[in-house]
Amino acid sequence: MGELLQQLNSEIASVVEEAGRSLVQVRSVRRGHGSGILCHPEGLIITNAHVIGNAAVEVTLADGRELSAKVLAEDSDLDLAALYVEANDLPAAKFGESRNLRPGHLVLALGHPWGVSGATTAGVIIGLGSGGQSDSRSKKEWLEVNLPLRPGNSGGPLIDVYGHVVGINTMVTGPNIGIAVPIHVVKAFLHQKLGAKEPVLV
Amino acid sequence: MTELLQNLSNALAATVESAGPSVVRVEGRRRGPASGVIWSADGLIVTTHHVLEGDDIKVGLPDGNKVKATLVGRDPTTDLALLRAETTGLTPAAWGDTDAERVGHMVLALGRPGESVRATLGIISALGKSWQTPSGGRVDRYLQTDVVMYPGFSGGPLVDSESHVLGINTSALLRGISLTIPTLTVRQVVETLLTHGRVRRGHLGVAAQPARLQGDLPKQIGQETGLLLISVEQGSPADKGGLLMGDTIVVLDGQPVRHLDDLLALLSGDKIGASVPVRIVRGGRVEELKVTIGERT
Repeated sequence: MGELLQQLNSEIASVVEEAGRSLVQVRSVRRGHGSGILCHPEGLIITNAHVIGNAAVEVTLADGRELSAKVLAEDSDLDLAALYVEANDLPAAKFGESRNLRPGHLVLALGHPWGVSGATTAGVIIGLGSGGQSDSRSKKEWLEVNLPLRPGNSGGPLIDVYGHVVGINTMVTGPNIGIAVPIHVVKAFLHQKLGAKEPVLV
Repeated sequence: MTELLQNLSNALAATVESAGPSVVRVEGRRRGPASGVIWSADGLIVTTHHVLEGDDIKVGLPDGNKVKATLVGRDPTTDLALLRAETTGLTPAAWGDTDAERVGHMVLALGRPGESVRATLGIISALGKSWQTPSGGRVDRYLQTDVVMYPGFSGGPLVDSESHVLGINTSALLRGISLTIPTLTVRQVVETLLTHGRVRRGHLGVAAQPARLQGDLPKQIGQETGLLLISVEQGSPADKGGLLMGDTIVVLDGQPVRHLDDLLALLSGDKIGASVPVRIVRGGRVEELKVTIGERT
């Protein structure tokens, strides 16, 4: 029994370690701190639109490098933004299959809540899609997670047990309840906004 | 590789999928829907009392259909209610008991506030003996978890690692605490509601508050406090038995009465109609009367 828990702990830690290499901190003069995730070795970063606002954006990579970022695309309705930093051979995160997620699946949220870098919380998928009490969010797709998200988590990745990004953490709707934009929505956003220039997503 | 983590994650999702077909949406209040658990294939649904406000009740089934439901009965003291939905062919929950459960075990709370089933994960935080709710309900075991009771999860099931329903979740019995009414109590309340349409409770017809006994009375009676009657309803069982405002009840039916909880516990349904001795303090002297316990309506 103790062995199982130890193995579980080490597996969780390895997922966090792996995904943490792709985690970035996003700073905007007007909006403060948020999180983001590297999704291409050539410098493409995904974060929340509400994290960047209209001001200059700076990014700190997991290796400590501080770079200024260019906003490539933004959709305030989806609350997504694509940033570009000039760097090569970056440790890009892998995208997972958000459509395969079911209530009860384990997930991890990485981010910089209250400026604490690389903080991680674990929980489960509560539900997905739309309906019920969340009808007010109209036809937008979302993942509801049983996680304590805090300011600074915004824009950070939601990770599945394979270490793949399945969502972008976006907001808190209650104690220990967070909302993430599913990664298939992010893929569609990138495809639509960046079109042919869309990087090859692994 | 993260094989164990993947297996655990998939097992949790499979548990939700397995128990989900017995979880329904209960629309019976303005503040928004809640959840319920299927008791029988022919439409009996268990939910919580506090999520039902009026007679207009609808049940959202796992297949997406919405049907009318009538209230079979409710028991505010355990926060349970039984509905009959106008349908058949439902999937009853696999009810399990708490005998094998221990503090630290993983559990899932399920709900269906919307179309689809939803889940939160937690652990069993506390397991205790039988206890009495603030309103006098008797619950076979104290079962507390750390699962987040998301809006609309009240009335839904607590599910263990074998997809068994351990009981009905409620956040209304003790504010801010995720409590589960275990299967054994659910079964007792359901059977009583099916037979009587309500859980019968004894009634005296008094308003009372605990009061410290004076002089050498504590030594004489063997307790520090009793229940001071601050009013006696006219024509009530207490009135008929000769109890007066200002009396202090110290013993009922041979059992000490020190706090309101003691009295509530003694006024259980099986005492209705029984003539029992009541020991009181009146004018500093101990007296003994007899009351016939009535039924609370």
